Amino acid sequence: MEYIEIDEYHHLMSPIHQWDPRAKIVSILTLIFSVVLLYDLELAALGLIFAVILLLISKIPLKFVMWHLRWVVLFILPFFLIMPFAVLEGDITVNPEGFEYAFLILIKAISAVILIFPMIGTMRFNSTAKALERLKIPNKIVQMIIFTYRYIFVFIDEFSDISRSLDSRGFRRRTNMHTIRTLGKAIGMLFVKSYERSERVYNAMCSRGYTGNLKTFDKFEMMRNDWVKMFIVMGMAIGLHLLHFIYFMEMI
Amino acid sequence: MRKAISVSDLNYKYPDGTLALKDVSMDIFEGESVALIGPNGAGKSTFLLHLNGVLKEGDGAVKIFGNEIHDRNIHEIRRKVGIVFQDPDDQLFMPTVFDDVAFGPINLGLGKDEVERRVKVALEKVGLSGYEDRSPHHLSFGEKKRASFATVLSMEPDILVLDEPTSNLDPKSRSELINTIKELNDDGKTIITATHDLNAVPDIAGRVYVLDKTIVAQGTTREVFEDLDLLRKINLDVPEVVRLFEVLRCFGYDYENLPLSIEEAISHLTQAIESEGGHIHLHIHEHTHERLSRTKEWHNHHTVKKSGK
Ligand SMILES: Nc1ncnc2c1ncn2[C@@H]1O[C@H](COP(=O)(O)OP(=O)(O)O)[C@@H](O)[C@H]1O
Ligand SMILES: [Mg+2]
Repeated sequence: MEYIEIDEYHHLMSPIHQWDPRAKIVSILTLIFSVVLLYDLELAALGLIFAVILLLISKIPLKFVMWHLRWVVLFILPFFLIMPFAVLEGDITVNPEGFEYAFLILIKAISAVILIFPMIGTMRFNSTAKALERLKIPNKIVQMIIFTYRYIFVFIDEFSDISRSLDSRGFRRRTNMHTIRTLGKAIGMLFVKSYERSERVYNAMCSRGYTGNLKTFDKFEMMRNDWVKMFIVMGMAIGLHLLHFIYFMEMI
Repeated sequence: MRKAISVSDLNYKYPDGTLALKDVSMDIFEGESVALIGPNGAGKSTFLLHLNGVLKEGDGAVKIFGNEIHDRNIHEIRRKVGIVFQDPDDQLFMPTVFDDVAFGPINLGLGKDEVERRVKVALEKVGLSGYEDRSPHHLSFGEKKRASFATVLSMEPDILVLDEPTSNLDPKSRSELINTIKELNDDGKTIITATHDLNAVPDIAGRVYVLDKTIVAQGTTREVFEDLDLLRKINLDVPEVVRLFEVLRCFGYDYENLPLSIEEAISHLTQAIESEGGHIHLHIHEHTHERLSRTKEWHNHHTVKKSGK
């Protein structure tokens, strides 16, 4: 079975790969928030440039990122159709500022998604999970993330089993009630199976001494370089808003 | 010898009313390897879940090294009794093999060095050294099965409980796993294996319990496999070797110690041929056809019933 995996390029060597996972998550997450909270186009474009720079440094293939970005673009495109039109007193008018807004949303979304790749695509998923745990994210949430990650693959396998057995019995996907009903039942089956599996997994966990908390070991250690990188990326995040502030002052 | 597991009159009903176990009693001694056989739905898995308190009846029917299982000693019990579940995807829930094998030892409160040592030893034992950083979804089924053994071995339990360890394995992985089980028993672990892979039973167990909601038979592996009528009555097959010797008996070949495995069959026949002056004698006598057709009938009846389910 071939899976699409976010940490597919964890084995590359780059300054971002060799960055302490905790510092990496905190810094890049700050940059993501910083970009998302911008509201002028020029600064958002600068944010996008920062994102692309980090992506290039991380050496994650652009093709891989583009492949994932297509969903974001597809999701945002409708905004270009909706935003420019405003309804004023019953009349539909075209407002060119709407394009600018739609553009702003698109740029911010693309930047944020691009930044996710250097953030969690440059280390094994278990490092991400451990980093979250060390960052004092509530243990229950860390566990949910870990189990979701682990069982999504089991779920994919089970779904492809069901779908294969439907295909081998001559089932064709069409746009009719029969298709919807059959797929509905198949998905229902999956839910029942997942529920039963969760009980068995829980039994297996308890059998190995689980009492509600998940602990793991790591070899994290903050070195000088980790702090330097953190300083730079945090600087980008704060810089964007400082620039915004300066801009704003000048306008008055 | 000390009793490792002692179960007396265990009853269990699932909340939905399914009666799964009825008056089950069993004694397993330290260092023994025992097989629990029975058809699908016989209650084998349900029984095994009682051995470390995942399921409990609360009437003290299960004792581990003489101690009843309470809420108070449940951690002690789970350190001593390790269960390897049937589906490795239920057993491997962490992002990497290392984290999974370390999960139990960490829960025991062991230090980092000791946890790392145990993970190393456990992975060596199942032949997965070097797999520490792999994700479970990148392992083959056979590797997952061995990894799930390691997750339990790292807790260094005295008693190993195995649920269908050989199911769905290809022949090579199957025989490797059987060897691992034998080794673990040689290392001194007490082992109880639930299985319907009867061909594996003679290799891994000295004694057998037959379960069909209640214990319907027990004895040494040979005693149990000699009672063909009983096994067939509850829809269980016998190892191929046993069936072959049953056929030989129809041709007038008499024997005392029923061979249970290919190795035993080879030494048995060698001995028989040597003591009979270089050959064994098979012939068709007046009951041969009648006996053969009865054997065949049993077999067909059995397979039809099995596939009809
Ligand atoms: N969680 C459950 N709830 C209700 N009934 C169950 C549950 N698990 C198993 N059973 C039923 O209990 C009986 C014994 O099942 P099980 O112990 O899995 O048998 P075996 O392992 O020998 O195949 C079966 O009739 C099965 O359908
Ligand atoms: Mg079972």
